[in-house]
Amino acid sequence: MTDERQRDGTSGADNAAGGTVGAGLRPTDAERVPGPIADARPADQPSGDVIVSMRNVSRAFDNRTVVRDVNLTVTAGTILGVIGPSGAGKTTTIRMLTGALAPTSGEVEVLGQRPTSFSRRTRERIGYMPQLFALYPDLTAGENVDFVASLFGLLLWRRRRRVQQVLKLVQLWDARKTRAGRLSGGMQRRLELACALVHGPTLLILDEPTAGIDPLLRVTVWEELHRLRDAGKTLLVTTQYVHEAEECDQVALIAHGRLIALAPPAELCRSATGGDVIEVETTDMFDGSNLESLPGVLAIRQVEARRLRVTVDHAATKLPAVVDAIGVAGGDVASAREVRLTFDEVFAELVARAGEEDDPAADVAADIEPGTAA
Amino acid sequence: MIILKSLTRILAVVGKELIEVIRRPGAILSLILGPFLIMALFGAGYSGYRRPLETVIVIPPQSGLPTDMDSYKEIAGSGLDLVEVTPDAASAESRLRDQTIDVVIIAPTNAEQDFKAGQRSKIQVEVNAVDPVEQNYAVFLAHVLERDVNRIIVERLAKEGQSYALSAGASQAAAIPPDVVAAPTEADLVNVAPSQPTVVQFFGPAVLALILQHMAVTLIALSIIRERTTGIFELFRVSPINAIELIFGKLIAFGILCGAIAALTVLLLVGPLGVPMLGDPALIAGVIGLLILASLGLGLLIAAISDSERQTVQLSLLVLLASVFFSGFALAIDQFSQPVRSLIYIIPVTNGIRLLDDLLMRGTTTASWQIGVLAILAVVFIGLSWLLLRRAMRRI
Repeated sequence: MTDERQRDGTSGADNAAGGTVGAGLRPTDAERVPGPIADARPADQPSGDVIVSMRNVSRAFDNRTVVRDVNLTVTAGTILGVIGPSGAGKTTTIRMLTGALAPTSGEVEVLGQRPTSFSRRTRERIGYMPQLFALYPDLTAGENVDFVASLFGLLLWRRRRRVQQVLKLVQLWDARKTRAGRLSGGMQRRLELACALVHGPTLLILDEPTAGIDPLLRVTVWEELHRLRDAGKTLLVTTQYVHEAEECDQVALIAHGRLIALAPPAELCRSATGGDVIEVETTDMFDGSNLESLPGVLAIRQVEARRLRVTVDHAATKLPAVVDAIGVAGGDVASAREVRLTFDEVFAELVARAGEEDDPAADVAADIEPGTAA
Repeated sequence: MIILKSLTRILAVVGKELIEVIRRPGAILSLILGPFLIMALFGAGYSGYRRPLETVIVIPPQSGLPTDMDSYKEIAGSGLDLVEVTPDAASAESRLRDQTIDVVIIAPTNAEQDFKAGQRSKIQVEVNAVDPVEQNYAVFLAHVLERDVNRIIVERLAKEGQSYALSAGASQAAAIPPDVVAAPTEADLVNVAPSQPTVVQFFGPAVLALILQHMAVTLIALSIIRERTTGIFELFRVSPINAIELIFGKLIAFGILCGAIAALTVLLLVGPLGVPMLGDPALIAGVIGLLILASLGLGLLIAAISDSERQTVQLSLLVLLASVFFSGFALAIDQFSQPVRSLIYIIPVTNGIRLLDDLLMRGTTTASWQIGVLAILAVVFIGLSWLLLRRAMRRI
């Protein structure tokens, strides 16, 4: 039986929803490792410049609102992870940023222009990886990348060099002469990533780039995304792997068509719990409500009869006090430790909290997101 | 730089389309060998020979007419295959109903008496035909039969009359032979056309035009619709490519492909099949080029208005069906009423067949206005497709 009593109902994530994604979490220069793409070009955009801006943006299909009232600003040199359950509105949000969809209301600005009227020069600065497999199965891996590079206007002499670079980056150089249709699902996804990168875009919009890729290669992909970020690129990445939120500078959590949280990953964790979490296991059944009056305790959740989670403002200083208080109340502590919720737990908590506040009709609308086919 | 980048995008589409076609062995077989095989089968298989109709002649016993088959072989001619002479009309009609024979001819019962009484006798010709073409053929054969029987009767009577006149001392009565009396005129056909192709040779240019149109429409329409219904068009929307560059790329790629196949097919027609090529080769090439361009435009339009691959295939087949019926390939255009006749020039192959027939087999054409029609069709189809595809590529 789970019982939750939270003293402070406000959430940091709730407050953050609708805000600016900055470069505050970017690594130091010493931590930056030049990569095959990152070192190829200087930073495109000065850090701090607004690359993406969404103001009160909503999108409806046939009177069904799929994305509602999203406010978002992304500055240069940032990785923004757009995370949310299936059908939450992630792809619709992404498509409004690429210009493939116009918002029903609100304003969207990307690289200083409205996506619905992007100039060719602006389009050349955007790399896009759609969610669906969008390559020609009869063309080889190399030909596919070369074709996309040509679409973005890369001339022959630069195209050859870039094709080689990106294919090596995604570890497909050896498969460059294999037809795309004969590659495995993971290899096809890597090939699409190569296509998105080949023209060296300032802004990369990647719709689930790590879907279907094995864990080892996923690490490599994220390393490269970090390198790109360090080279001044801005990245918008949707992912279905919640733990990948840790790889992002900022995380936008979308559920039921709404942006329910926008914050750095560490802040999101605190937002979900309201503070640090201490997990205590007792030898016998213990009633956690005895701890409510303890200073610094924000919430108590009885996970099991002999196990409870206590949310405190600062775990390191409050842990001894909690153990003492249990002893005073007649309990016998078997173990006590600070726990960090997994991102799955954090997101489940935030989504559940947002769901409680939502209009049930809107939930249905958000789940029926139209496909991306033309 | 802008032009260079634009050219890069167009060439990328051209290269991609050509590589995709080359990489599909099945497509090469159906695209290049297909037309050749159709032409070869048509040439080898079509003889123009019409099977003679199996015929039973019924001679009523009281008629007094001969009952041996040799007596009627001259009358039957090459159109009828005389299988039996019988007095049993019911049995012959039963076989006709069972479709084991094609024609039953029943001779008049009292032909001589009717003639002497100044009355016409009836030769009854019975057929069992549902097909209107077969029925018309039977009517034609009945008229030929009637004419031949009458001619033989007149010839016989003239001969008897001359014998009678000669025996009466009128020696000049034999000056005109009985067969001339029976058929005083005969037609001598002179064809002034610059070439007299065989049936196979005559249909060759029309088959070429039909194959080219169908291939151009299907190839480009399927290419576009596949991109529209997959994520590739999503990539086009985000990338700097625009509808004009995409259309140009497709037109150039499939134009090259269809042009190469047209050249090979013309060589086959003029070489092994012996189709005459009397017209200016440059003009013929120009007409083929315009036919391909208008057909590609039609294919683009089909892809632009379709929302699935299935619909594209259905529309392409409808165009093919309309082309077979209305283009002059199977039925002559002047057999249609005026309003329909005006509409059928919208189909590119209608103009292509007429122009290619004329230029190849006559050396010139009296329908040069149809060159203009092909050019207008190309412009209109491509223009409409551009508007629709631009809308599809625009942000929504």
